[in-house]
Amino acid sequence: MLIRHWLPAFVPLAAAVLGSLFAVANGCSSVPEQPFANQPTTNGSVSLAARAADTSQQGRMHGAEAMDRQEAELGKLLALQDWDQAPTGVDQEIWESLVPEDNEMTAARVELGRKLYFDTRLSRDNTVSCATCHDVTRGFTDQRMVSEGVGEKLGRRNAPTTMNAALFTPMFLDGRSPTLEHQAGQPILNPVEMAMPNREAVVEKLSKIEDYRQAFPAAYGREVNYADIERAIATFERTLVFLDSPFDRFFAGDDDAISEDAKKGWELFNGKARCATCHPINSSNPSGTDSRFHNVGVSARKQNFEKLAKQALDALAEDASEATLDRLAVSTDLSELGRFMLTKNRPDIGAFRTLQLRNVGITGPYMHDGSMHTLWDVMDHYNKGGEDNPYLDGGIEALALSEDEINQLVELMFTLTDSRFSGQNDAKRAEQRARAAKERPFRDTELAMRKKLGFEDRVMKHK
Amino acid sequence: MVHKSIETKYMEARDNVLRSLVNCDRRTFLKVSAAAAAAAATAGVAFPHSFQPVTVTDTDENGKSNEVFRFAYISDSHLYDKQINDRFVRSLLRAVDDVNELDPQPDFVFYGGDLAQLGAASELELGAEILKNVKAPLKMMVGEHDWYLDLGQKWRELFGDDRYSWEHKGVKFVVLNSVIEDDFWTARGMSPQERMGTVAGLDNGIQSRFKVGEAQRQWLSSQLESVPNDKPLVVFSHSPLYKYYENWNFWTDDADEVQAILKRFDKVTVIHGHTHQLLTNRIGNIYFHGMLSTAWPWPYAPQGLPELTVQMNRPDPFNSQDGCGMGQVRVHDDGLVDKVYDLWNRNPVTVSREYMKSFGKTDKPKSANRSSY
Amino acid sequence: MITRNYVVASLVGLAVVVAASSFQKPQDSNKVKVRLCDGETTTEVAASETKTQAGGQAIANKLMAAWLAKHPGRWKMPAQGNKAQQDPDAIIEKRHKIMPPYDNSALLGKGQSEGDTYGNFTKRDLMIWERETKKMVVHGARVFHNAKLLGSTISVSCDMCHPDASNTHPETYPKYQTQIGKAVLLRDMINWCLEHPVRAKPMAEDDPRLRAMEAYIYAQRKGKVLQYNRH
Repeated sequence: MLIRHWLPAFVPLAAAVLGSLFAVANGCSSVPEQPFANQPTTNGSVSLAARAADTSQQGRMHGAEAMDRQEAELGKLLALQDWDQAPTGVDQEIWESLVPEDNEMTAARVELGRKLYFDTRLSRDNTVSCATCHDVTRGFTDQRMVSEGVGEKLGRRNAPTTMNAALFTPMFLDGRSPTLEHQAGQPILNPVEMAMPNREAVVEKLSKIEDYRQAFPAAYGREVNYADIERAIATFERTLVFLDSPFDRFFAGDDDAISEDAKKGWELFNGKARCATCHPINSSNPSGTDSRFHNVGVSARKQNFEKLAKQALDALAEDASEATLDRLAVSTDLSELGRFMLTKNRPDIGAFRTLQLRNVGITGPYMHDGSMHTLWDVMDHYNKGGEDNPYLDGGIEALALSEDEINQLVELMFTLTDSRFSGQNDAKRAEQRARAAKERPFRDTELAMRKKLGFEDRVMKHK
Repeated sequence: MVHKSIETKYMEARDNVLRSLVNCDRRTFLKVSAAAAAAAATAGVAFPHSFQPVTVTDTDENGKSNEVFRFAYISDSHLYDKQINDRFVRSLLRAVDDVNELDPQPDFVFYGGDLAQLGAASELELGAEILKNVKAPLKMMVGEHDWYLDLGQKWRELFGDDRYSWEHKGVKFVVLNSVIEDDFWTARGMSPQERMGTVAGLDNGIQSRFKVGEAQRQWLSSQLESVPNDKPLVVFSHSPLYKYYENWNFWTDDADEVQAILKRFDKVTVIHGHTHQLLTNRIGNIYFHGMLSTAWPWPYAPQGLPELTVQMNRPDPFNSQDGCGMGQVRVHDDGLVDKVYDLWNRNPVTVSREYMKSFGKTDKPKSANRSSY
Repeated sequence: MITRNYVVASLVGLAVVVAASSFQKPQDSNKVKVRLCDGETTTEVAASETKTQAGGQAIANKLMAAWLAKHPGRWKMPAQGNKAQQDPDAIIEKRHKIMPPYDNSALLGKGQSEGDTYGNFTKRDLMIWERETKKMVVHGARVFHNAKLLGSTISVSCDMCHPDASNTHPETYPKYQTQIGKAVLLRDMINWCLEHPVRAKPMAEDDPRLRAMEAYIYAQRKGKVLQYNRH
């Protein structure tokens, strides 16, 4: 009986323990996003040797465009504006609710945040800034499967784009950051990202820089401090609103804004293809995400996923077993359990955030691990009903979409890219189309057309 | 009190533990975090998120578990032929997968009735073929959807008697055919298909109310004759063996008479199907638990809901498996059971014997925040 | 039956007459072009076809089909074969315990002054209102409980999840429907359910089945307080 009462109290602290154990494993920094550095990614990412050999990468740290060139590009993309007014595409009331009271947007704060976003001195070896993995020229992400940080360490998750980040909470693929501000402060301390040892070290480093000694009081009336670093970066990120796409013009009534195929795609999106429920697009929520977490089966492709889930569930059900959790954290990869590590709710096992559909054409590769390189891959995955696993969201089911219908949906998705990136969008579309013409690794027509059923292979093998 | 999101609470808890680190020596760290955990426990910190452990090991004061064994169930699959409706087939496959993944494996798996939707031989055969893949021993019970096309002919051929009993680890199990109906079809000149179609509709007033019937009540009495009052008894029935909502045949007409037969026993548990929802009742010494369907959930009836029932949340129609699933029954050495509802895409719900014994005063399952209205 | 034959015969006769009067000599002198009385719809047949009743029937059918194709909705053909499967209203009403509509008797004979026709309603008026409304509601109940009429491709009918139209909450519309991702009316949600749980084709706005089902769902919630956007 005693144990039963104990357990609910212990569980979140178990999470704390886990988080700390990740830190311990990586040398006493706090709260890394991915604890197991130097593990190779699965197929598709460029090897370190190849990167070194690639001379076009001159001046590019970790594959990112040079910071000054990024800043110049950004200058072309965004105009100054009165940030009390909602940017184009965002409902005014919604916009006001998105800006926190203790972080009103001012020109000084935007400017400070911008400096910080592009400042590689925020990393331990001065090579990584936010813009390294959220690169202005690469869809405000890095267009890689997983991201590379200090010491060429690779993470385990795909970097979401910072475009339109203002519109969501919580942040991160498992949603562990409650606010944009909080998220901004995490990668700086992550040993596989920007690798600063602790908050104090960051503050100390910035305090030595004259520009920042002036800018922080000017923006926030306070000396350099970590919370304001987070606030400033978040403020800058709020300006990165890109909701001016051909789709928006069509949505507003311009029938010529998108192709007939894309229009058919929009009908499918709201109908047979069942997209609109997790990816709603309307004037109050233009982003195309429900800001929730779903197991669509991507993590199920990892071989030990179910075993991990079982171990985690058993461990958490037993009496306060630190040792079990400790063993688990060190010897296994719990990252694939997604949102579950936060909430310990069974529906959250292997569940990751629904990401926005805005600018999806230029923010591949896709899914939380970047395992899908084209939107055709994404469609194949959903068409066959995801990957069967005991925690699959039951809303995911085979869709029986034809090749034409898939093409129409992909066509629609490419219309969601802001017109300022139309050149890159077209290039990506061509690139993806060429790749999809050669291979469709996730396609399973038997499952898609319901000739074979979900769970059939798993079950009918016995006896 | 400022409302804090679960993310904020989680991050604050993590940060607090980290700040209490004196140095990074792992052993010291573990000691510190253990102390922090203990401190939190004694402070009675309560975190309101909905985590419930999947397997709760019941222990008494000596730390001994008093669970004797457990069995699992799958129920109400309502299969059409695969070409007609793939969705219901997929759900049954998922349930079988879940049952086969249970670790440890249950002593047996019980099928709660309504395997077929329209009682067709092909539907029953399809169900039998899928259920063959259940690893643990399988026990079958009939529902009205299985019965009223051919009045049990195919069922008996595939699965044997519609009523039987056995003993297992000190518990007496009885399986009833509690979907007997008075003949409503002959006078109307109905074909077998029409009869089955009528029975298949829940809310039409044509079919008769379910009953166990006198012959079967006598059979039940004879099965229980030599059973002492203190022996734990589990009765499987498709209809609930009490009167919940007549319009939907959530009802057994001779429930009073059946309960009278069961009255002398100290520990009687009725596990029933048909209602496709989380359902709990207690009448005297008889504890009633419903089984989930794999195919679709029913809403709660507008009246007659037993007081003990803590509703499950309204299902989301986007997820055709929401409000559905399979489940387990854990039998304890006191002869009473914990009923586990393994709802898909939700945390499992346990309706424990503590809850039943106390008439709902202790160990209450979490209330729905979106109940039927 | 007999009347129909006369109608057919006269239609054929008309066609032939028109053909004769608007005779166009085709290439093949064994073929005859027959034009309908609308002056536009035509079909070409072998000359021999115009000489028999069966042939005439075939010609009439062809022309009728062609005309209907050009004028959708102008003439509602009786549903073929569905009549046998559809139970009459009285049975549906009894079986599905349709809620009685509002009792308007307070309006009987209550004109403002003696002999005033405006606002002065008779028993017959009330009966007409009730009968017509009931028919719509009853048809809704009929479709609601019938997978074939719904057009379900997986043999699912609405009453499977909503016996007696329970758990439909029509009094909460209009609302933002999370499944649809926007603000909708009840009929939009009915259509969403048709497309997904029922796996049927969504119905057009003016489809009598859709409108009847909406009517039935509202009827069963008679007396509930309106609470739009209640979730």
